[in-house]
Formats: sequence, C-alpha cells, structure tokens
Amino acid sequence: MVKMIVSIAVSLALLAGAAVFETLFIDAQFAQVREALEVLEEKVREENALPADTQAVQKLWENKKEKLHAVIPHNDISYIDYWLGEADGCIEAGLYADALSKIEVLLVICKQIPQTYALTFENVF
Amino acid sequence: MGLIFLRTAIVFIALLIVMRLMGKRQIGEMQPFELVITLLIAELACIPMADTSIPLLYGIVSVLTIFLLHQCVLLLDLKVRPLKRVIGGKPSLVINKNGVDVSELERNNLDVSDLIESMRSAGYFSLDEVDYALYEANGQFTAMPRENTPKENKVSLPVLIVDDGKYDKHNLALTKTDETFFADILQKQGVKKLKKVFVLTLDGTGKIYLQVRGEKYRSFRISLPEGSTW
Repeated sequence: MVKMIVSIAVSLALLAGAAVFETLFIDAQFAQVREALEVLEEKVREENALPADTQAVQKLWENKKEKLHAVIPHNDISYIDYWLGEADGCIEAGLYADALSKIEVLLVICKQIPQTYALTFENVF
Repeated sequence: MGLIFLRTAIVFIALLIVMRLMGKRQIGEMQPFELVITLLIAELACIPMADTSIPLLYGIVSVLTIFLLHQCVLLLDLKVRPLKRVIGGKPSLVINKNGVDVSELERNNLDVSDLIESMRSAGYFSLDEVDYALYEANGQFTAMPRENTPKENKVSLPVLIVDDGKYDKHNLALTKTDETFFADILQKQGVKKLKKVFVLTLDGTGKIYLQVRGEKYRSFRISLPEGSTW
C-alpha cells in the first residue's frame, strides 16, 4: 500500500514537474528567438539588415533548437528552419520587402508554437 | 507534457467507460481497466518509437501517465468498495436454481447461445447440469454443478430449439422436428405464446429444458419422432 502511494506521488510529481518545466522552457526559448527576430525585422524595415544579422539569428536558433527537439515535435522546428532560410536568402539578395514578409511569418510561428502547448480547452480536445 | 497527461487521462477514462458499457462479452480474463491499459500502452509506446518527428519524451510521459492511472485505479479498487464495482464491475449470476436469469444476461449484452457456449467450454452440455453459473467481473465463466445430477446417457448434443421466442430453423431440421411438434409440447406445458419462451433445448434422449420468461425452468422428457437422431 505504502509502495503504491509512493509510486503515485512520485509519478504525479514527475508529471507535474515536467508539465511546468515544459511550459516555462518553451516560453523562454521562443521569447528569446522572438526578441532576436524583432530586432532583425526592425533592421529589414530600415533596409540596413546584413546577412550577418540573419546568421546571428540562425545561430541563436540553432542553439535553442538542440534543446527544443526534446520537447516539441520536430516538424514544428523545421517550419522555423525553413522560413529562416527563406528570410536569409531574401536579405542576401537585397529583397527587403520579401524578407519582411518571411520574418512576419516567423514571428507568428514563434508566438503560436508556445500557445500550442498551453493547457487550454482547444488544445486538450 | 500537461497536455499529453490530460489527453491520455481522458482517453483512458473514455475507454474504461466504453469497456464497462460493453459488458462481459468484450472482456477476456482481464479487469476492464487492465484491458484498457493493454489497448493503450502498446500504441503509446510505439508511436514515438517509430515516428522520429515526435519526441521520445511524449511516449515516456504518456506511459508514465498510464502507470499513474493504473496505480490510482488499483488504490481505489482496494480502498473504496463502491468504486470497485463501478470500475471493475461485479460478477453476474446468470443461472440460479430457477434457471437462466434473463435480465442478467441482457444486462451483459449476452444471449442464450453465448451462455450455452460458455457452458460447453466449462464442460457442461445441458443448462440443468448446474445450480449456479456466473460471469466473473473479468468475463470468465464459472459454474457450480448441480448436486446429485443424474448420470444420463449423452447420446447427442443438446440443441437450441427456441431462442428468445424464435424457433431455430436449422436445429429443427437437424432434429427432424417441426414447429407444430414443439407447439403441441408447449401447449401441454401450458405455454400459450412462443414469445414467452426464453429457451428450449432438446437432447438426443428426448430431454427438454424449457424456460419461460419469469418462471422457473422445467426439464422433462418427450418421445422423439421416428428417425430423429443427430
């Protein structure tokens, strides 16, 4: 009986801990990426963004995604890879208007992904 | 992880309710919640293992959730007696000294042919060979043989002639009898409507087991028509 109660308490604690950690961790990681993207967006608007700026965001994202692979489906991660690559290509070619639309998409994705893991009615069902 | 936990718990509870509603027919030697766990755990473990786009942690979390639910159900099963019946169900006494309990059979979504099949599996070929028979909560069939059951010549297998108010045409042909033959027998027994007969079986020695809805069963012998062997 004691063993059973202990196992319930331990697994409940593990699951609750994992749930809280996941929410906080995903939020924090995407907040940083969003911040970097907002800076890049500003530079693209002013048309003074350089390929090095995109590469800095890409480097940050590469660091983040290594850890994020453990907690979110890899398909979600590959969306960001794809749009970041597109934005990088546009900036390199000097197509700032196109780059801006790609960065807008990235900002939306970075806002939406953490929401997908929130404990809300629409996510549960 | 919270989402996976909640979704796993919801599916677990939904499956458990469905299994309980399906009755004993769907369960085989397992408690309903054990069957639900068996159904879920293989899938939960397999999907993240085979699909590399899903983090392995998802599989681990859902398996851990199933473990937690299993432990909670076990705890409730042991400590809260009224819940034990809700979660695991209770044994159903389908045959008593009055014969087949029609309502218990129906409650478990079973019919008389299922009961006869279970009886045969347990080694009893006639419904009057047992005093009590029950389906355990896990769906297993248990029977208590009648005391002083007369040793009878088991000439041939008892066959179902009337199943819930309807003649079994195949068995009528097999026994080389017809509806009028049994209509006469029923009339002699004071049964006015065939609809009221829940079960009537006939064996090769001419022994009939007759149970009318709401009455105690009766067992008697008749003379079989010429050439009636099977």
